Amino acid sequence: MNRWLSDHTQAVSDAWKRTSDRFTQFIVLVCLLGILLAIPGWLAQIWIGMASLVPEDAVRSEAIVFLKQDLDVEARIDLERSLSEMPSADEIVFVPRSAALEQLSSQDGLEPIADLKTNNPLPDALRLKFTIQGVQADENQIIENLTSDQRVLSLRYYPSTRIQYASLVEMLGLLGIGLFALTIIGVLMAVFLVAAADVVDDRRRIELYTLLGASRRFIRRPYLYRATILGVLAGLIACLVITLLNEVLSSLLAINLKALDARFANFPVDGRILIGVALIAVLASWVGAERAVSRRLKALN
Amino acid sequence: MIEFEGVAKVYDGQREALSNVNFRLAPGEMAFLTGHSGAGKSTLLRLILGFETASSGVVRVAGTDLSTLSGEKLARYRRRVGVVFQDPNLEDDLSIYDNVALPLRISGFSESEIPKRVNAALSRVDLSNQAKARPRVLSGGQQQRVGIARAIVHRPALLVADEPTGNLDPELSARVMRMFTQFQQLGVTILVATHERAVVESLPFRRLVIEKGSLISDGMGSNR
Repeated sequence: MNRWLSDHTQAVSDAWKRTSDRFTQFIVLVCLLGILLAIPGWLAQIWIGMASLVPEDAVRSEAIVFLKQDLDVEARIDLERSLSEMPSADEIVFVPRSAALEQLSSQDGLEPIADLKTNNPLPDALRLKFTIQGVQADENQIIENLTSDQRVLSLRYYPSTRIQYASLVEMLGLLGIGLFALTIIGVLMAVFLVAAADVVDDRRRIELYTLLGASRRFIRRPYLYRATILGVLAGLIACLVITLLNEVLSSLLAINLKALDARFANFPVDGRILIGVALIAVLASWVGAERAVSRRLKALN
Repeated sequence: MIEFEGVAKVYDGQREALSNVNFRLAPGEMAFLTGHSGAGKSTLLRLILGFETASSGVVRVAGTDLSTLSGEKLARYRRRVGVVFQDPNLEDDLSIYDNVALPLRISGFSESEIPKRVNAALSRVDLSNQAKARPRVLSGGQQQRVGIARAIVHRPALLVADEPTGNLDPELSARVMRMFTQFQQLGVTILVATHERAVVESLPFRRLVIEKGSLISDGMGSNR
């Protein structure tokens, strides 16, 4: 235990000595990596912020399900229950045939004709509001299932804006994910290479330690501590940059959007993004140093 | 202490760096390994330090066949060997004291034992007053003495030196050689690789002459 503790204390002090000797260089590197790491984090923050601006109606579809004339109350309640069990169902409202006539006429821009009022041909209906997070095909499947149900006479389907522009939304989504993935890969590589370059600079030192009989773990430790310090500090800078940028954007949006909806007054920074950015920084830096030392040691032996 | 039995080293299946080298160095013995640049001196030292394995033949140090060592066992073996380089290879980030203490920290010596050993090693090379200095403020000769202190601080049974006087003037070279002679008198086995004829001829120790990878001469030198 004492040996373990003294070895790790030695490694931390070694890492710190090497950092303090090139302090300005280290700080510049940390700031650069922090800003780089903030780019994908900021993109994710914009994405999540924009998603919260989308009104519910834009993603919620609606269907008016006309029931068969001879459907008794029990069968209707059973249908309501089975529909409410759908995970995508948000709201199911029973619409009596008189209300259905009025609603449909007003939707079609007509006043109910007096004759129809006395001799209403419409059956009772259910108004179903549902939100599908998946693709258009999933929503079509729901409509098909409803249409093929024996208790359903027919239905009117009002797809959400997201479904109406599904191909555009899908393409933009894929483009966004692609750009985000590219940015992440670029940033990961940058952090990885910086941590690895630190080791490559120290080739002579690694050879010396090997010659003096240091174990692989002993040689690795200071580099891994240094990489971790680099990752943690770069991650913190990135989080700070994301938070500051979000603050600026929030205040700009608030001025313009507060009048529309109180929810738009501010966008809190998503904690998952900050944790993700910090983890990426530490992991990439750690793996970069670890791989570089391992390669060097392998080449030596 | 060191045994070479029919040792050959071939690089890339073609270039023969050593060919059928046979010699034995007894414990406490000191010898010079001489030869021109590219004769195979460095390859021979790398074999002793476990950085290379022989293509054929056996290299034994203290009875252990080095080809059987790897990983942690090889690291433990290296901790028992002292090494002096032409370039002392000191760490600029560390003080002279910490540079000398390095082999002790690697070997896991206790923090109470380290100061005693480091101070003893530094006083042996007359550098006790420079313990807190950084390597860059020392002269070339002083740096080489720090390298020697680092090589002997853990009291190795075997000391290997690769051109230890290559960067020193004749006076400093003689001083370094006197130090090696003192260590040899304390029972340390020493192998010094050098191409400096003056250094070799000044001391009455065994000479192993290597040329084009073969040991062409193995005999005693004359006294000054």
